[in-house]
Amino acid sequence: MTNPKQTTDLLARRRFLQTAGIAAGATLGGVALPRAAEAAAAPMPKKWDVTTDVLIIGTGFAGLAAAIEARDAKADVLVIDKMPVPGGNSTINGGDFAAAGTPMQKAAGIEDSPELMFKDMMKAGGYLNHPELARTVAEQSAGALEWSQNYVGAQYDRVNFHGGHSVKRAHQTVQRSGSGLVTKQLEKARALGAKIELRTKLVRLVADKDGRIVGAEVRRGYKFPDEASGTPAFIKARKAVVLASGGFSNDVQLRQMYDPRLTDQFTSTNHPGATGEAIMAACMAGAMDLQMDWIQLGPWTSPDEKGFGYVPQFVERVVGYGLMVDPATGKRFFKETGNRKERADAIILLGHPAVILADSTNTTKMVDPGQLKGALDNGSLRKFDTLEDLARGYNMPVDVFVEQVKRWNGFVEQKKDPELECMIFKDAVPNVTPPFYAARLWPRVHHTMGGLAINKEAQVIGFELKPIPGLYAAGEATGGVHGAVRLGSVAMADCVVFGRIAGKNAAKQAAWG
Amino acid sequence: MFVKAFRRAMPPLAVLLLGAALALPSAAAPARNAKAAPGDCAACHKAEKVLPAGHPATKAMKLDACAQCHAPKSPQALPGKVPGSHLHQLRGVGCTQCHGDLKKPTEVAHDKCMSCHDTTKLAEKTADVKPKNPHNSPHYGKDADCNLCHHQHARSENYCAQCHKFEFKVP
Repeated sequence: MTNPKQTTDLLARRRFLQTAGIAAGATLGGVALPRAAEAAAAPMPKKWDVTTDVLIIGTGFAGLAAAIEARDAKADVLVIDKMPVPGGNSTINGGDFAAAGTPMQKAAGIEDSPELMFKDMMKAGGYLNHPELARTVAEQSAGALEWSQNYVGAQYDRVNFHGGHSVKRAHQTVQRSGSGLVTKQLEKARALGAKIELRTKLVRLVADKDGRIVGAEVRRGYKFPDEASGTPAFIKARKAVVLASGGFSNDVQLRQMYDPRLTDQFTSTNHPGATGEAIMAACMAGAMDLQMDWIQLGPWTSPDEKGFGYVPQFVERVVGYGLMVDPATGKRFFKETGNRKERADAIILLGHPAVILADSTNTTKMVDPGQLKGALDNGSLRKFDTLEDLARGYNMPVDVFVEQVKRWNGFVEQKKDPELECMIFKDAVPNVTPPFYAARLWPRVHHTMGGLAINKEAQVIGFELKPIPGLYAAGEATGGVHGAVRLGSVAMADCVVFGRIAGKNAAKQAAWG
Repeated sequence: MFVKAFRRAMPPLAVLLLGAALALPSAAAPARNAKAAPGDCAACHKAEKVLPAGHPATKAMKLDACAQCHAPKSPQALPGKVPGSHLHQLRGVGCTQCHGDLKKPTEVAHDKCMSCHDTTKLAEKTADVKPKNPHNSPHYGKDADCNLCHHQHARSENYCAQCHKFEFKVP
């Protein structure tokens, strides 16, 4: 199952990047970590302010999937979120859900299988994925998608490609955003009687003398990011706590602990609350973390708009149709359909933003009109009548660039790229029809692959390498599913698959009191 | 950034008249007079000059009277010129109606806003705002907390602008 060559290449690339010193001399600043001041889990309080069966931390895909399953298993459920809005990163994501062997794929003539999805995940992950976790996601992806459609009520209407996958398997919500699922999950969870409390922040987990997790110390009425805000309270979780608090892409201090290159010079696609204190709280209560230094940068963000933006929805739709060039040379420099890590590393090595483009025929066929308009309106995507104008628009050597587009168009006609081995889709056509659409690309911190160690029952593993009683975790707060690189659209699958498992198992746990 | 820092530096409710405080940074914090008549600036601001020179006396005015000159939707309209709490005050909605007992004021929950403001109707009213309807977001629907944007005792903010280039003027 392993492929030593692939792993070696990946690690070698990584070391090269480090020595290339994109963030040489990064410092952590002079501030001590406030979270280091208080160690371990909180002691049992004299009085609990709130009691529930299952306490879930986080209102994203994973937390809400857990809430719905736990309610369906008749457990009392309280979901808390520190932010004033629900949904975390999930509700601002692109709405692509990887699933293998679905009816939508069959209808589109796409041959796929959980085994192929598993292989793609492992290959991209540099074989650092915990195979039983990756396999669980791949095998249950189609069922999870079906559940999200038929039971939760989300709607998907197209199957997209993402770099690093062998086939098109990203089922996209009609809203072109994860909010298409989150809003339906919220409705369902509330209809089933789950309580959802925003602006309540986890401070510490509470363990009994044997280390079983029995609840949490929180601050209610918390105002992000004011740590002194809110009122302390203790929530008793009779059965279990599910940690679905997301990753830490926006926690500059914490992410630099694991990858010192990621200074505040790199912005993030994430919501402002994507910080790691809930993961740290679990660690202090005895949970083990793993692979925390694999932090993903998205290669498809534009420096000409904020956050995740619209441009990724242009880029990921036109790779395999259009081409990406280094504006300094006017030439292609990396496989457009490569995985996120490969592409982000390649762009960072250029030292300046890359340019991606596609002609009118490929663009209008592939890109959602609303997303296209959004990108054009905010100026991050530009339209040119000729390739020469486009070259001048980005200060590229005109002749070399025009020649490069011709060369790429030749590959498109042959459906084969002998130079950089980019995948070229069957329906791709040569880029000859104006207007030509183009955007600049500069990576942003997007996903933290590492997190809490879990087993395939979503039980959190402690430092004795055994499950910690009463503690489950799912989604980006966990590590191991994706190994070194998460493939695009597998986050939704991961969150929904493991969120459901965590919710079901938490509800099954025998109550302690 | 400035507003956030400002808010954090001040205890709740002491920011009551931030708009005026910005205009006159050296002025002492206004009193919190829950019994102040709607247009009676001096009831809280005392001798502090909070209105432009030559402004008509407002002591007997409510919002309707203000609108004689400050016509809604005109360049003279009041929203954005004074803190939201003042618009509430001018309409006769004073401190205690939202915060309860002023000796122990409570934070205003979204449900309190909803007891007067219907978010569905609000979303209909702003349906044609460009580039997007600020009161019906694909991410948060029509239920987003009013206070994400419409601060009453601090300068309002455009929550969408964290990610989007929507240049809303937020009253």
